[in-house]
Amino acid sequence: MGYSNASGDLSSEMEVDAFRRLFPLRFYERHLAELIRPDGRALGKARDTTIALGAVASADGSALAKIGLTTMLAAIKMEVMTPLKESPDEGCIVIEFHMPPICSPLVRPGRPAEAAPVVSKQLSDTILRHVKHFSVRSFSGMIDLKDLSLVSGKAAWMAYLDIYCLDADGSLFDVALLSAVAAFSHLQIPVVSMNDEGKLIVVSEENGEKDVVNKEKRKLRLNRIPFSLTCILHKKYILADPTAEEESIFETVVTVVLDTSDQLVSLYKPGGPALAFTSSVQDCIALTKQRLKELQTILDESISGMEVD
Amino acid sequence: MAGKAAPTPTTYSPSPTTQKTKPSFFKNHDADWVRPDGRGFHQCRPAFFRTGAVNAAAGSAYAEFGNTKVIVSVFGPRESKKAMMYSDIGRLNCNVSYATFATPVRGQGSDDEDFSSMLHKALEGAIILETFPKTTVDVFALVLESGGSDLPVVISCASVALADAGIMMYDLVASVSVSCLAKNLVIDPMLEEESYQDGSLMLTCMPSKYEVTQLTITGEWSAAKINEGMQLCLDACSKLANIMRSCLKEAASGSEE
Repeated sequence: MGYSNASGDLSSEMEVDAFRRLFPLRFYERHLAELIRPDGRALGKARDTTIALGAVASADGSALAKIGLTTMLAAIKMEVMTPLKESPDEGCIVIEFHMPPICSPLVRPGRPAEAAPVVSKQLSDTILRHVKHFSVRSFSGMIDLKDLSLVSGKAAWMAYLDIYCLDADGSLFDVALLSAVAAFSHLQIPVVSMNDEGKLIVVSEENGEKDVVNKEKRKLRLNRIPFSLTCILHKKYILADPTAEEESIFETVVTVVLDTSDQLVSLYKPGGPALAFTSSVQDCIALTKQRLKELQTILDESISGMEVD
Repeated sequence: MAGKAAPTPTTYSPSPTTQKTKPSFFKNHDADWVRPDGRGFHQCRPAFFRTGAVNAAAGSAYAEFGNTKVIVSVFGPRESKKAMMYSDIGRLNCNVSYATFATPVRGQGSDDEDFSSMLHKALEGAIILETFPKTTVDVFALVLESGGSDLPVVISCASVALADAGIMMYDLVASVSVSCLAKNLVIDPMLEEESYQDGSLMLTCMPSKYEVTQLTITGEWSAAKINEGMQLCLDACSKLANIMRSCLKEAASGSEE
């Protein structure tokens, strides 16, 4: 590239960049009129998505999920608890979502990010309530808490799921849920046996198989896995999988969670200046249905990739 | 939180608790023993650095030494907190935190406050604070997995992240620690070795300037041992700085293309 040419490019680039910063809404609306987004995506298209299983060796199950630049690391640690009296055959799942200061310039140490508790609550609602609601009647949720039981009334698994946002660039909930689901499908439950004091300890290779409590239950059965898609509503346009910039310009988002049997798990529309017509909500659900198939394929591929290794 | 069921019951980790007594191979002072990962006493773990781990940050780096994995993000120079007094020179603000799953037992990360101030002191001398008056540079570290020598890895990684953010420094800062196990010095100790150590020495330096920015010694050391340990660390630091520099060069040549 010639020198004069390069400087010419630079000046025009500067103008676009300045325009983008000064009039973000107009900048976006000009793109939307052409049915394209500044990053080259079609309106209904999500960003590239990858899943890497087993990213954390010190956890029992872990996954790194990336959608575009947004990166989440989820890890599960299994601990033993005494089950509650009212549910002696059930384990427990605790979900925490963290936004450490490394992930975004808006988060400072000691001052938790505004978004973190919201996403945390949404995740608990999606994964836990999903679990509870169904397990009362019959086993048809994502995880049957009865699968976490070890010794009835004495011991059960407590699964601590911690999700860390490593890089925040929009659609935090979608990526967090994907990493959580991937971590659960990677989870390998340790083999434990009862020791003399009545505590359960991990059976290592050398001390053989004496009184192993959970020989078969090494993997959690996952039925009806939830997947989600966040969309932005702006005038007649629907933008799937927004970036942080898009989220800050258009304030109305709709998050749809569907499970693998195509049932609606939840739908969030936390306020925002734009009102949602039933037709646009239906469009969001249709987009989520498509996205669910994509995400399921990506998850299946990462799982089968692990088995080959 | 509404999502949580009742009061959470107390739990314990089923993994066998770390043995209180040293394994036999550490007891025999002169006998040949091998390190848990088969390294030589004066051999460091393979070091891996990559810049640009976090896009939202001005500069960032990921470092992996064996099982020790950390991410450091650098933000700024940006406006100092309102409460801060006027300052002719820039401010450096450091924070180190542990992911809950970083340690073998959940939520037992080391003293973050302590590490934060250690990181601050290790970097302070190397950064040209005059280049960003009235503003603050934030250095935030997250330990994803603790595998021993966490603080030295955080410090070296932070220095790469600062370079990635374009913050002016006199030199890269490299940090290495040695553990004293009975009569032997082992470099770049793992978590297991650190739990048995009789003493530890951590040295942070600017290898090209041959200047030490931080030196901490804990436990019982003889003067001769200290000399030996420092020499080991200095040699390792200069090698480590070469790896750090080549990572930065690679990133720079990659972005030019």
